[in-house]
Amino acid sequence: MKEIDVFRQWNRKRHEYATAWQKRTGGKVMGYFCTYVPEEILHAAGVLPVRVLGSHEPQNVTEPHIFAMFCPFCRDCLAQGLKGRYKYLDGLMIAQSCLHIRQAYTSWIKHVPVGFSYYLCMPHKVQSRRAYPYLRGELEAFRKAVEGWTGKQISDKALREAIAVYNENRRLMRELYDTRKQAEPPVSGEEVMEISLAQQMVDKREHNEALRKLLAALPRRKRDRPAGTRLMIIGSEDDDIDFLHMVESLNKEQYPATFVVDEHCTGSRYFWNDVPEDKDALMALSRRYIERPPCPTKDWEERKRIPHIMKLARDFGAQGAIVMQQKFCDPHELDTVAIRKELEKQGIKTLFLEFDVTVPIGQFRIRVEAFLETLKQEDLF
Amino acid sequence: MAVITAGIDMGAKTIKVVLLEDGQKVRARAMELGGTDTRAAGERAFNAALFQAGLRMAEVAHVTATGAGRASAPFAKDSVTEVGAGARGAIFLHPAARTVIDVGAEEGKTLRCDGRGKVIDFAVNEKCAAGAGSFMESMARALEVKLEELGPLALKSGNTIPMNAQCAVFAESEVVTLVHQKHTKEDIAKAVHDAIADRITSMVRKVGFENDVVLIGGVSKNPAFVETMRRNLQTAVNVLPDPEYVGALGAAIVAAENAGVK
Repeated sequence: MKEIDVFRQWNRKRHEYATAWQKRTGGKVMGYFCTYVPEEILHAAGVLPVRVLGSHEPQNVTEPHIFAMFCPFCRDCLAQGLKGRYKYLDGLMIAQSCLHIRQAYTSWIKHVPVGFSYYLCMPHKVQSRRAYPYLRGELEAFRKAVEGWTGKQISDKALREAIAVYNENRRLMRELYDTRKQAEPPVSGEEVMEISLAQQMVDKREHNEALRKLLAALPRRKRDRPAGTRLMIIGSEDDDIDFLHMVESLNKEQYPATFVVDEHCTGSRYFWNDVPEDKDALMALSRRYIERPPCPTKDWEERKRIPHIMKLARDFGAQGAIVMQQKFCDPHELDTVAIRKELEKQGIKTLFLEFDVTVPIGQFRIRVEAFLETLKQEDLF
Repeated sequence: MAVITAGIDMGAKTIKVVLLEDGQKVRARAMELGGTDTRAAGERAFNAALFQAGLRMAEVAHVTATGAGRASAPFAKDSVTEVGAGARGAIFLHPAARTVIDVGAEEGKTLRCDGRGKVIDFAVNEKCAAGAGSFMESMARALEVKLEELGPLALKSGNTIPMNAQCAVFAESEVVTLVHQKHTKEDIAKAVHDAIADRITSMVRKVGFENDVVLIGGVSKNPAFVETMRRNLQTAVNVLPDPEYVGALGAAIVAAENAGVK
């Protein structure tokens, strides 16, 4: 479908897109790790934020810089930097989330210097009322730093416009997700992953435009296979399109299955909540990032992710859940136990998988097929 | 009168013995499969080397052991680590060596040394055999080729298939998946070599490398592995003659020193 191909192209040719954007607009490109980065401020300064992701290829360059028990994702990201795949970046930044990805950031700026780098101290204890003014202060400092770097004032008006563009993007994405609530969703999980990955690396105005076209075309679309078992996928960073592709292209008579919703930082966690109305634009941003569906590193003392996950599962009619995580991701590993317990309690069976830089498709296929078979047996007896 | 010393390398799979004259000249060398009774296998290897050289045990002034099983080495008066022995043996054969990559049956090692064979830094593969020779053996088995055919087979492929060889057991089923996906044997063999060489290269980068780089250990007899290492490191990689004996040779040199040979 050509309305989806455009996202696929953006995602697959991410570097070409960014360099072309740079050339066309003369603007700066900022690479970022982690979805706690307040992109609105960058957008308001005319900067293109581009999320750094891995390439899912084996490599041999990160061993001196990253501990062996750090997750494969941070390793894969750093490898991209060391191999010069992001040479075009004008800046690189991170908002505090976990130690592993921060190590990737620190090693990167040390060994592949960029013109501007920024560490944004996103508070960990988001469940504290002090987090709001604290983050507001951090955002103010960040705004000043970006102004210094770009030589451009970021007016409140520009900030509000950026927030509007981003909120519209979030709204359109939720609208796209809503179509997946249908008995026969018009889009596959794999396709949605391409769309949400593209969302994190292209100009939001272009992404909005493409989303509007897609949403207009979707009502006429019929997929060539039945939705089958409705699956949810939950976990850490996940841009493993090959895995989703494998699950959704299993024998459609025997094991039809479709991902109908996700809870990933490369998926719904990235865009789920809007920036609220607030006279103070920075406070509005602060509220948005503090109240968003949390990463497990920030989800304490109360575990707020679980009710959110359960609501998604219910709203989208998930019949089974694949709970995945990057190998060695301790925060997710801790959450996994509680998440699976709650899902199973609600009658949603789970399959747990650990992801690495490359996914062992054959081994995972065996597990997924067996998992789908057990779900089917539930229906029979 | 010439002083004869011996080095015995009790490796994970094979046992190697080198007899050295005056710490200078290799008189004989022999190899035996370790099996379950490694001490008896060690004795067999030793006797074979003595027979070759026309010597008796009594004529051997000093025996130094090395290798993973060195604690059970027969005849040995003392021992040296695999890392120490590798460095000494490599410098003896290639005095300009400053980085020694040693890939045996169960372990991959990298060390950096000075001109006298003193070890400056080293790294050993973590826990599993995925970056070592026994991994290649199981991969050859999965592909139904002889171990010595695996390298030349890989050299015929120009394609790259990503493979995640974190674990030898899982890698074998990954190979099976590739077979099911109808990839050619050549391409899969290359993927196996790329995976192993990537792991070893990672380790080399951890230690940091300095020229000359030399390869020792049985796996360096595999031309595809050598070629991939050369490509990964972008430098000349020298395979030392009879690479599987370099550890035993290093031990024999240490034995000569301990016997007072100047």
